[in-house]
Amino acid sequence: MFAIASMNGIVIGVIYALSALGVSLVVGIMNVVNFAHGEFYILAGYFSYLFATALGMNLLAAMTLAVAIVFVFGLLVEYTLIRPTYGDDLYSLILTFILSIVLQNAYLLIFGPYPNKPPGWVRGATDIFGLFMYGNQRLAALVAGTCVIVFVFAMIKLTWFGRIIRATSQDRGMAELNGVNTTRLNMLSFGLGCALAAAAGVILAPVFPVTPTAGVPVALTAFVVVVLGGMGSLRGCIVGGLTLGLVENLGAAYLSTGYKHVFGFIILILVLAIRPSGLFGHKEA
Amino acid sequence: MLEVSNIDVYRGETQVLWDISLEVAAGERVAILGSNGAGKSSLMGAIAGILPPAGGKINFKGETISGRKAYEVTRFGIALVPEGRRVYKEMSVRENLEMGGYVSRKQRRIDQGMEQVFALFPVLRDRRHQAGGTLSGGEQQMLAIGRALMSRPELLLIDELSLGLAPRITKEIYQAISGLELETTVLLVEQNVEMALSHSQRAYIMESGRITRSGRSETLMADDDIRRAYLGL
Ligand SMILES: Nc1ncnc2c1ncn2[C@@H]1O[C@H](COP(=O)(O)OP(=O)(O)OP(=O)(O)O)[C@@H](O)[C@H]1O
Ligand SMILES: [Mg+2]
Repeated sequence: MFAIASMNGIVIGVIYALSALGVSLVVGIMNVVNFAHGEFYILAGYFSYLFATALGMNLLAAMTLAVAIVFVFGLLVEYTLIRPTYGDDLYSLILTFILSIVLQNAYLLIFGPYPNKPPGWVRGATDIFGLFMYGNQRLAALVAGTCVIVFVFAMIKLTWFGRIIRATSQDRGMAELNGVNTTRLNMLSFGLGCALAAAAGVILAPVFPVTPTAGVPVALTAFVVVVLGGMGSLRGCIVGGLTLGLVENLGAAYLSTGYKHVFGFIILILVLAIRPSGLFGHKEA
Repeated sequence: MLEVSNIDVYRGETQVLWDISLEVAAGERVAILGSNGAGKSSLMGAIAGILPPAGGKINFKGETISGRKAYEVTRFGIALVPEGRRVYKEMSVRENLEMGGYVSRKQRRIDQGMEQVFALFPVLRDRRHQAGGTLSGGEQQMLAIGRALMSRPELLLIDELSLGLAPRITKEIYQAISGLELETTVLLVEQNVEMALSHSQRAYIMESGRITRSGRSETLMADDDIRRAYLGL
């Protein structure tokens, strides 16, 4: 039981981390919390379902297209809703909250309240070290999630785009003096944050089907991970995501399934009591 | 090269600069002096595009730069070493310098620029893999100047070079800057009046948001009023 609960914890932890990366990136650069993060995740799930099931597209193409569309949608949201609120973080909070409600209702109208599930990528199960049988679809989700995370970290570490993201989140004014068009960077990073939510969405939708309101717990978890790991810290997202995934699943296995999400909050409160700025956060944040 | 004509600058609702005009010719070293709150940093900010002037005009090499954003002004060939240095604390010395070269983004230019900065401040080479925040104050100032030089500016603006530094370090950095090629024009703000006057050809003196005096640095250095007010002699 320990082995399988840990495995579940790692798989879900990686997806938590991926989803939290998108939130953390936007917090670090723009100081904006995107309340509609979960709805972007769901949107990508619906798109991949539509493209693959209704249009019969190739799975990989359907997922890529879904992420790309959500990225563009994110750019538009930044341009129309977030940009006019610069300098007043409260407005963007309220606007993205309204956006999340509007999207939930739109999903309900278009897709109905029923769960929708894009086709799985793989079938069957694999024997893990003779300990237990584990669903191949979940293993594939683990691999895909890890690949996207590695890709994001490589980009942050090695490319100009990553360098200006780090510079801007450390000192926006100085980055501007170094020639960074931070207005454009805001738009791109907001789009990227949405695309990361979308990546998590298309990876997990075959395991956990999407419903109009399924994004709410996704966003809440992402916020918990971001606070746990430290506001704006990308490494913190990975450690925070895995910690939360493991704690929830081990807690559910040994203590009680009903309190799954409570365990996460207990860990959050414990960590914040010891380190108020989160695992990798800065003192002032 | 740089012409500031009659600019008025506000910070929020309050006016901080009144009708400021000054000129800097190519290759010149010019100092701006003044006590705390005189508006020196605001003037630097206005030139660099951080604080757009409400009135007046700023021209650089014949083009109007007032009203442009800071990231655009940088591309004209102006680099600011800001007050308080503002190195990227969690990025390595190398990455800090690379950020200075963001305007060109050409690897070869960046490698060359970095070699020149290392030649100017050898200690930065030894520290190149260290995070900016772990450097001493003097090293951070060298890094901030090096980062500004990475964009190969024609006009280098330096705000409060000596702030919080030991006199020996200040002197060392001033010496390094004096050795810069003559194409680099320098406009520097200083509270250390003696240091500033001995490393500049001309100077302007600011008092509560206005320029009250200007002249050749030697002349000002010998002036009794100046000596009494700023040098405590
Ligand atoms: N961020 C700000 N918001 C509002 N007013 C400011 C701000 N920064 C400075 N001021 C005010 O603007 C005026 C000019 O300040 P400025 O920083 O340009 O002076 P300075 O000559 O650089 O002073 P110092 O020697 O202390 O650096 C001062 O009256 C100051 O109180
Ligand atoms: Mg100042």
